[in-house]
Amino acid sequence: MRKFLFSMILLMLFALSGAQELLDLNKATLEELKQLPIQEEKAESIYEFRYYIKFFDSIYELRDIPGITQNDLNIIKPLVMVSHISKTDEYALRREQTSYLIERLGSNEGFQEGISDIWEDYLVTPRNINKLTFSDVLNMPNTSPLDAAAVLERISFGDSISSYSDLRQTEGISYYGASNLQHYVYYLGQEIDRKLFFNYQMKYDDNPYEEATDLMYKESMINLHAIENSGLNSNSETPRIKKQSYWGYFQMEDYSPSIMNKVRLRYGNIWSAGLLQYNRKGEKPLLFFDDADNKNYLKDLKYYANYEREVFGNDHLSIVVGNFRATFGEGLVMENTDFYNARKTGYGFSKRITGIAEDLSRTQEYALLGAAVQWKNKSFNGSLFFSSDDKDAIVYDSNNDGVLDKNDYLLSYVTMSRRFTNEELEEAENFFQDYEKPGYENPYPINIAPRRDAFNEKLVGGHIEYSPIIGTHLGFTAYEAVYDREFVVDNSNDSLKYLLIKTLYEDGEPVNGNDAEAKWRIADSEIAALYSTKTAKYDNNFRRVIGFDWRTVLNNTSIQGEYAELTVDGKEYKLGDDPKALILSTYTQFENLYLITLYRDYDLDYDNPYSRGFSEHEKFDDTVLDRYAYTLNNPLIADVYINSAQAQAEKGIYIETRYRFNKHLTINRSYLDIWERKSDSRKSVRFQGELDYRPIYALSMRLKYKHQQNRYDDDADRSLSKTNETTGKIVVNLSNFDRISLEYRYTKVWFPPYTYLTNDPEVGGNTIAQAQSLLNADYICVDYTHNFNKNLKVQGSFIYWNGHGASHWDWEDMEIDFLGEKGNKLWLALNTKISDNLYLTLKYRVKHYKTREYEWRAWWNDVGELGDLNYLDRVEKTEHSFRLHLDLRL
Amino acid sequence: MKKTGLLILLIIITNQIFGYSILNRFSGDLAENIDARTAAMGGAGVAEGSLLFSAKLNPASLGFLDFNFGGQFAAGIMKNDDNRSLPMYNFFDGYIDDATYVSNVNYFDHYAVAVYYAHDLNDFKLSGSLSYAPYKNFDCYYVEEVRNDEGSDYDNYPPLIAKNYIDGSGAINSMSLTAAVTYLSRVALGFEIAKLTGDQTLSEKILWSDYANNTVNGLIDTKERTTRDFDEMRFKLGLNGRLNPRLQLGFSFTPKIEFDQKAKFSNNDTTYTYESIITTASNWRFGVSYQPRNIMRTSFNVDIEVVNWSDVNDLYDTGINYYVGVEHSLKNKMPLRFGFRYNVDYRTLNEEDFIYSDKIISPTFSVGTGFVFMEKFQIDISGAYTYRKYEALDLFMDSHYNYSQLWNEIEPADRGWENPDQVSESFFNVITSISYKW
Repeated sequence: MRKFLFSMILLMLFALSGAQELLDLNKATLEELKQLPIQEEKAESIYEFRYYIKFFDSIYELRDIPGITQNDLNIIKPLVMVSHISKTDEYALRREQTSYLIERLGSNEGFQEGISDIWEDYLVTPRNINKLTFSDVLNMPNTSPLDAAAVLERISFGDSISSYSDLRQTEGISYYGASNLQHYVYYLGQEIDRKLFFNYQMKYDDNPYEEATDLMYKESMINLHAIENSGLNSNSETPRIKKQSYWGYFQMEDYSPSIMNKVRLRYGNIWSAGLLQYNRKGEKPLLFFDDADNKNYLKDLKYYANYEREVFGNDHLSIVVGNFRATFGEGLVMENTDFYNARKTGYGFSKRITGIAEDLSRTQEYALLGAAVQWKNKSFNGSLFFSSDDKDAIVYDSNNDGVLDKNDYLLSYVTMSRRFTNEELEEAENFFQDYEKPGYENPYPINIAPRRDAFNEKLVGGHIEYSPIIGTHLGFTAYEAVYDREFVVDNSNDSLKYLLIKTLYEDGEPVNGNDAEAKWRIADSEIAALYSTKTAKYDNNFRRVIGFDWRTVLNNTSIQGEYAELTVDGKEYKLGDDPKALILSTYTQFENLYLITLYRDYDLDYDNPYSRGFSEHEKFDDTVLDRYAYTLNNPLIADVYINSAQAQAEKGIYIETRYRFNKHLTINRSYLDIWERKSDSRKSVRFQGELDYRPIYALSMRLKYKHQQNRYDDDADRSLSKTNETTGKIVVNLSNFDRISLEYRYTKVWFPPYTYLTNDPEVGGNTIAQAQSLLNADYICVDYTHNFNKNLKVQGSFIYWNGHGASHWDWEDMEIDFLGEKGNKLWLALNTKISDNLYLTLKYRVKHYKTREYEWRAWWNDVGELGDLNYLDRVEKTEHSFRLHLDLRL
Repeated sequence: MKKTGLLILLIIITNQIFGYSILNRFSGDLAENIDARTAAMGGAGVAEGSLLFSAKLNPASLGFLDFNFGGQFAAGIMKNDDNRSLPMYNFFDGYIDDATYVSNVNYFDHYAVAVYYAHDLNDFKLSGSLSYAPYKNFDCYYVEEVRNDEGSDYDNYPPLIAKNYIDGSGAINSMSLTAAVTYLSRVALGFEIAKLTGDQTLSEKILWSDYANNTVNGLIDTKERTTRDFDEMRFKLGLNGRLNPRLQLGFSFTPKIEFDQKAKFSNNDTTYTYESIITTASNWRFGVSYQPRNIMRTSFNVDIEVVNWSDVNDLYDTGINYYVGVEHSLKNKMPLRFGFRYNVDYRTLNEEDFIYSDKIISPTFSVGTGFVFMEKFQIDISGAYTYRKYEALDLFMDSHYNYSQLWNEIEPADRGWENPDQVSESFFNVITSISYKW
C-alpha cells in the first residue's frame, strides 16, 4: 500500500512538473479552449460543462460531454491536463457532506418545531467539543446523558478530544452517541472562520383540514326546530343554508393556503437574528392584507436577535431578545410549544432542547416574546426570562348580559385552527344569533367563544441548576404569569356545563333538564379542574408554577426527574399542598440495548398551560370537547381539545427498550405503558413491539404488533375497548440509496356502542341502536424512493385502506395524514438540490375516500319533515393538495 | 324567458391562463402559454426561454434564442372536469359536505405555429418572428339532466323532465409580429404587435323530455343564442438582460385590452343587440433565471406577475401570481422539467343588492420533458394539473320546471347565493410542440 501511494505521489509530481506546457481544463478561458484542435462548438461544450455541470476530476470526463468523441479525446489528451479544484465555499461543502442529516432534520420539523434550525446551524458551523457543557452535549440529537457524562468526564481530567476516532475512544460513550455527535462538533484546531450566513425558507401548503377541525367548522349554528317551536313560521319556505355554519359563513372552501416565510441571519455562532411570517390555512397571506389588518399581521410576526459569547474563560452567555423558547427539566414547569407529542420521554427522537433558545417555530399561542438571558458553565446553569404577549382565549359570558366583552371571564388558553379576527367572530355570532329573522330570539345564545388576543400575559421566570459532579445536578424552575383578565371556571350550580353545551334558555336562564344534563360526562371533570385566578377562597391575578428537577448518572444508568407545583390555595413555600406533577425516569444504556422506565403522576387540577410532560394523551381527550362537539354551545371551543398541547392528567409506568441481538435481528423501539386517567379513573394498557429481521443488509422484514385496552373498574360501565394492530413490512434497499417497501396492516377494534351513537340527541330519545362494536380494518402501502443522482430524488407512495369505522395514520415524507373509512391515496414528492445553496421540494397528493354513511336531507325538503330524509350510502370525496418548500442558504 | 339576460347582468369576468371552463363562457379563456417548455416549468420563463413560443411570455426572449432560423408548431389538449354539487346536511341539520349532482368532462384542443429569423449586425442582433396562435378560447360544453323524485326511494330511475345545454364555441386568435434587438448578447429589448380577431357563439337550451311534454300541455323548449365578433390590436413589451452566464432577468408588460363590440342575442321570441365589453387586465411580469453548477445542467426560473385587476373592476385587489420551475438535464441528456404555479383570479358576485368580489385560487403542478432528433428537430411535451373550487349560481334556475304535474311532493324554487352550487373543477393540460432550429 505504501509503495502504491509513493508511486502515485511520484506520478503526480511528474505530471505537475510537465504540466506547464499543457492547458488546464479547469482554468482555461473559452478562447484558450477554442485554440484546441477541435471544432469551436466542442470547445464551447467543454467550457459549458465546466461552467454549468462540474469541474473536471479527470481528462476522461470529456467523454461525458455530448459531441466529444473518443477520437476528439485522443487528439486533445496530450495537450490538456486537469488540476484539482476544491470547493471554495467550505460551508457549502459541509452542507453537502451533511445533506442527508439536514434532510432528516427537516423531515422531523413537525416534531421538533424550530429545533431543527438550531441543529442545522450546528451542522454548518459546529461547536468545539472540548468546551461544551453537559447540557450542550445532551442537547445534540440522539445523545444520552451517559454520552454527555462520558465526554465531560474525559475533558475534566485535562484530556482533550482531537478527532472523531479519538471521540470514539472515550470511555462510556455509545456508538450511536458518538456517531451522531460527530457532525455537530469540531475538535482541536479545526475551528471554522466566522462568516455571515443567510437563510430564507418558504413553505406553501394547502392540505385540507383534518376531520375534527372540518366537522367543527361545519357544525350547524342554528337550531331550526327551536325556531319552529318558538312559533315563528321560519322554515317552510326557507331552505337550510350553508351559511349557518362557520364553514359556510366564512366560505372556507375558498381557502387561502398556509404560507410560511422565514428569514434568518447568523454571524458564526455569535450573532443571529430572524423573522418569521406564518399564516395558517384560510388566513390572508401577507401580501393581501388591507389597512385594517395591518396591526394584526405585524403583531403576529415572530422575530428574534440572539447573542452568544464565551465569557470569563469557559463560561457561556447567551441573550435573546424577541421570541424565545424556554424548556427546562422534563417540561413539567416550562416548555413553550403549541404542539403536542405523545410519549415524549426526553430521550432519543423525542428529545427536549433545554435552556433558552431563539424561537422561529410556528408556535404562536404559547410563544414567549420579550427577553431572556442564560449563563452557564460546567457546574452552574442559570436562566432568567421575561415575556409580555397577548394570548388567544376562550371567553364566556360571566355576567349573563348576552355580550362577550372585556369584563367577561376566561375559561382557557386556546390555539385556534384558524385565527379569525375578533371582528369576524363577532359578525358571525351576530349572524347566527339573529339568523335574519326579525323578532327571533335564539333559544341557544352563543355565550362562549374564542377571542383573539383576549388577554395580556406578563410572564417572569427563571431556572437555576447546580452540578456538583459531572452528570449530577439539582435544578429549580419557577415562573409567574400575570394576567389582565381573570380565569374563572364557574362550576357552582353546574353553570359550567350550561355554558359549554347548547342549552335552551328562557328569560336568560338555562332550562334544567335540557341537553346539558344528558351530555354531561364524568370525564369533563378535567374541564371543571381548570385553574381559576378567582374563587371563593382566593382572588389572584396570576398563575405561579415552581418545580425541582434533578439528574444523576451512575455507571451506565441515568436517573432523573422533575416535581412541579401550581400555587393555588396552599402556602406558597410549602410543598405538597397544591396541585402537583411528578416524573421519575431512568435510562440504562448498553452497547446494543437501552432501557427507559418512566413514572408519571399528574394531579387533575395541575393546570399549567406551559406543561409538556410525558403522557399518552393530550389534555381534554375524551371530554365533551372531543367526543360531543355537536352539542357544544359554540363548536369553535373544540379547538381547546383539537390543538391541545398540554399533557392529560395521568398516573402510570412506561417501559421502553430497543435491543440489537446481532446484525440480523433487532427489537426496534418497543414499549409497554400502564396508566390511569385521572379525570375518570379509566385504566389503560398499551403495548407496542417491533421485530426487525435482516437476513442481508439490503433486505429488512419487520413485524409490528400493537395492543391497547381501556376499561373502567365499574362493571356497569360499558366502556371496555380493545385494539389490536398487526403490521408486516418489507423494505428493500436498492443501489444508489433507492428504496422500495411494502406494508400491510390489519387492525381489529372492539368497543361498546358509544352513547352518542345509540341515543338520539334529544333528551329521552333512545331509539336508534346502530353502532358497531367490532371493527376490522386493512391498510396496504407501497412506497418507492428513486435517486436520479445525489441532487434529485423522487419519492412516491400508494396506499389503499378500508377502515370499516376504524382509522389509520399514515406517515408521509414530512407529515402525518389521517385516514378514515375507506379510500386510496397517491403522493409524489420531488426533492431537488438546484445549486449548492438552493433546495426545492414539490409535493402533490391526491386522496379519494369515502366517509361514513349519512342520512341527509336534500336542501329543498322541509326541515320539519324528518321523514323526508334521504339516505346516502357513502359520501365520496377527492382531495388534492400541493406543498412547495424553497430553501436558500448563503 | 329572460334568464340569459339576467345572467349577462351577473357577468363573471375572470382572466384564466388556462381555459375552457363554464366559468369563463362569456369572457373567454386566455390560452397564450403554448410553450411546452415553460408550461412544464410551472409557466415560469419570462427571464429565459429557449423555444420560439417563449416569446409569448416575453418578446425579448427572441433575442436570446441560440439559432438564427427556425419554426415551431404546437398543439395542446385540455381536459376539463366540472363537478357541481349541492350542500348536504346531516341528521342534525349540520352541514356535512357537498353532493355532486352533475359532472361534465370535456376535451378541447388548440394549435399554434410560428417562424423566426435573426440577423447578426456587428454588436447587435435583430430577431423577428411571425406567429399564429390562440389568444382566447370560448369553447365550453355543459349538459345536465333534470329529473323528478318519483320512485327514487325504491331504487328506481326517476323520469327525465328536461335536458339543459350550454354550448360555446369560437376563439380569438392572434396574428403576431414579434421583434427583438439584442446588444452584445447581454441585453435584449422586444415588442409584439398582435392582431386579435375571432368570433364567439354561445347557445343555451332547455329541451323538455317526452315525459314532460306528455304530462304537461304547451311546454316550449327554450333556445337562446349569443354571437359576437372581435377585432382589436394588442401590444406587448419585454426586456431581457443577462447579468452573467448564470443569471438572467426578464420583464414584460402587457397593457389592458378592451374588446368593445355589439353582441347579438336571439331566443324563441326576440332578437336584439347589446353592448358587450370584455376586459383583459394589464399585467407586469418579472422573472429571474438562475443556472447554477449542478451535476445535471439546471435552470431555475421564478416569475412574479402583478395583475392590475382594477382595470376590470374597482372592487378587485391587485393580483399577484407566482411561477416556479426547474429544468434538469438527466444523464441521458433528457430534460426533466417540473414546476408549480399559484394563480389568483377575481370575479364579482351579486347577492341581492350587494356586489362584492371573490377571489379564486388555482394552484398548478406541472411536469415535462423533450428530446432532439435528426439534430435540428426538437419535440417537447408538458402536462399540467390544476384544480380550483368556487361557488356559483345554479346555471338553470329550478323554478323553470315548477309544474305540479311533474313533481310528487316538492315545488322547485330558485336557489340564490344563499344556497349556491359548489363547483369543483380540474384541468389537465397537455402541450406538445415540434421545433426546427437552424
